[in-house]
Amino acid sequence: MLKMDNVTKIYRMGMVETRALRDFSLEVEEGEFVTITGPSGSGKTTFLNVSGLLDAFEQGHYWLDGMDVSRLSDREMSRVRNEKIGFIFQSFNLIPDLDVFDNVDVPLRYRRLGARERKERIERAVAQVGLSSRLRHLPSQLSGGQQQRVAIARVLAGDPKLILADEPTGNLDSGMAREIMDILEQVNESGTTIIMVTHNPEHAARAHRQLHIADGRMVDLERIAPFPLNRPESRQAAS
Amino acid sequence: MLLYNLRLAWKSVRRHPVLSTLIVLGIALGVGVSTTFITAYHVLASDPVPGKSGVLHYVRMNSWGLPDSPFRDGPPPQLAYRDVREILKSGVPARSTASFPSRMTVFPPNAKEQPFRESVRLITSDFFPMFNVPFRYGGPWDRSADAKPEAVAVISSALNDRLFGGRNGVGRTFRLDDRDFRVVGVLDRWRPRVRAYDMVVDPLGEPEAVFVPLEWAGPMEVSPTGSQSTWRSPEPGEEDLPFIDRLVLGEVLFIQLWVELPDQARVAAFESYLDSYVAEQKKLGRFPNKPDNRVTPVLDLMTELRVVPPQTKALAAISLLFLVVAALNLIGLFLGKFLARASIVGVRRALGASRWTIFVQHLVECELMGLVGGSLGVLLSLGGLAILNRVYGDGPDGVAFFQLDVPMVFAAIALSLAAGAIAGIYPAWRICAIPPARHLKNQ
Repeated sequence: MLKMDNVTKIYRMGMVETRALRDFSLEVEEGEFVTITGPSGSGKTTFLNVSGLLDAFEQGHYWLDGMDVSRLSDREMSRVRNEKIGFIFQSFNLIPDLDVFDNVDVPLRYRRLGARERKERIERAVAQVGLSSRLRHLPSQLSGGQQQRVAIARVLAGDPKLILADEPTGNLDSGMAREIMDILEQVNESGTTIIMVTHNPEHAARAHRQLHIADGRMVDLERIAPFPLNRPESRQAAS
Repeated sequence: MLLYNLRLAWKSVRRHPVLSTLIVLGIALGVGVSTTFITAYHVLASDPVPGKSGVLHYVRMNSWGLPDSPFRDGPPPQLAYRDVREILKSGVPARSTASFPSRMTVFPPNAKEQPFRESVRLITSDFFPMFNVPFRYGGPWDRSADAKPEAVAVISSALNDRLFGGRNGVGRTFRLDDRDFRVVGVLDRWRPRVRAYDMVVDPLGEPEAVFVPLEWAGPMEVSPTGSQSTWRSPEPGEEDLPFIDRLVLGEVLFIQLWVELPDQARVAAFESYLDSYVAEQKKLGRFPNKPDNRVTPVLDLMTELRVVPPQTKALAAISLLFLVVAALNLIGLFLGKFLARASIVGVRRALGASRWTIFVQHLVECELMGLVGGSLGVLLSLGGLAILNRVYGDGPDGVAFFQLDVPMVFAAIALSLAAGAIAGIYPAWRICAIPPARHLKNQ
């Protein structure tokens, strides 16, 4: 699904250069659930940004779903983001003056789907996260957990192949966090690849594979569960 | 996508009401001022005789009899009475009219009312169809009335109301100076922006109240009130000649001559006729200077005589600059507004919006505010034009001189869109050019 080969990402601030990713190589299978841990500033978010085509990189190669996405134009990258990738952020990143329906609608608008198809997808995705009764609520009228579920619905409506989640439970209490993790597991079981950055070891352990990043490099690879796997048993064994 | 972008723009406008109001007011002021002054220029520079301006030609000849002419840019702008009379008889133009302005005393039919001075123009009957003069009652006099001349007159609607209490005055008589004139026509409301028939002396003045046949100039000894010039000093004894003979002999240049030449063949024929006429006059000892005949269409004459005051053009240009400056000042406000929601742009980029999509979304917002401001600006310009009309004076029947017509409304819309684009392109480009990861980092 995702393959990076010696990717290097450098941030330049005047004369100062910071190598956020150094010869970073990684391969993620289709349908895998991978978690990434690491200290602050280690390059986790940079990795997600590069993976999500939100940031360019200086060296190396990157293939996504079999396609070389190393040197795409802005328009092509936007299309790939829209059709193949879904983002879930720690701070939910809902648009404050759009209600639930319109927030979930945003990526579908950019895909230029017809009104009827958009409506069907939105209602199905919102029902999947249990918020059908809140379609016309603004984000400010929802709890943190509900907002994150809307963000997940926004991803589900787009039916992406890859979900990139940046500490999706970081701003939630443990109960809400578990709910979100359950939803993500369900999504993964339906075949969607998930790469999730987290600081929570318990959540990290629920993935097939846990990666550790330090100083812009992959320093540890731990296979938690076999892949493909029979998830319920293997998860219990892992925890 | 346009409707979606308009919806987002409207939400953004409502989210920042104070900032949006400031931007709208800035654009409204710029569009209002520029629309006002461009309308003033547009009104003055527009075709004064639509449909006829291509065929109406103003006639000039170099009849000046001294070596040094005061007219540096060409022949004298007006003609002598004797030349005009001859050319009117030529029969080459489809129509022709000569005219000059004067003032005479009007005696109302009701003897109890005080007589009053009124503006009068002496013309030939072709004047009315040549300049598309509208009639409320009756019509022009016959060509036969020009030659005799008959005591017939066409009067303005306002004078008709004054003399005859608003009733149809056709067929009734009134005294003009020393004789009675029968009214054959009453003009409808008529306030040409530019008096095409008198671009030499007073192009922006109001039409006269009374029109009578030119041939009354002699019998009534009508003195012209417009500009006049002569190169010849009267010889002893000439003062005692009849007025008409003094006009003929005196080489006084005070009449304006217009001819209607429907096609190029007729233009060529008339120019040839003028050349022959001048050659003939040279043989008679007149026209000693180099011949300089000019047969000039309406719009060319407007340009040549600078009928539209240059200040009007300058004001229109300055008002456009004002709009540009106003729009440039709004760049900062738009930039602040857009950068304040950079994180939302980051989210949209992450969800699949391309740089171009973000650019268009923000430009639509600028254009929406431009259009709202422009609509307000059109209302402001109506106020501005009302002030100009008060300064300039309405037509005799209360017809506003400067009016916002359909092309100017479209021009105002175009100005609004231009202002929105000037103010919005740079901020929209800035917000779409920032890498999405940086927007998200700001979240």
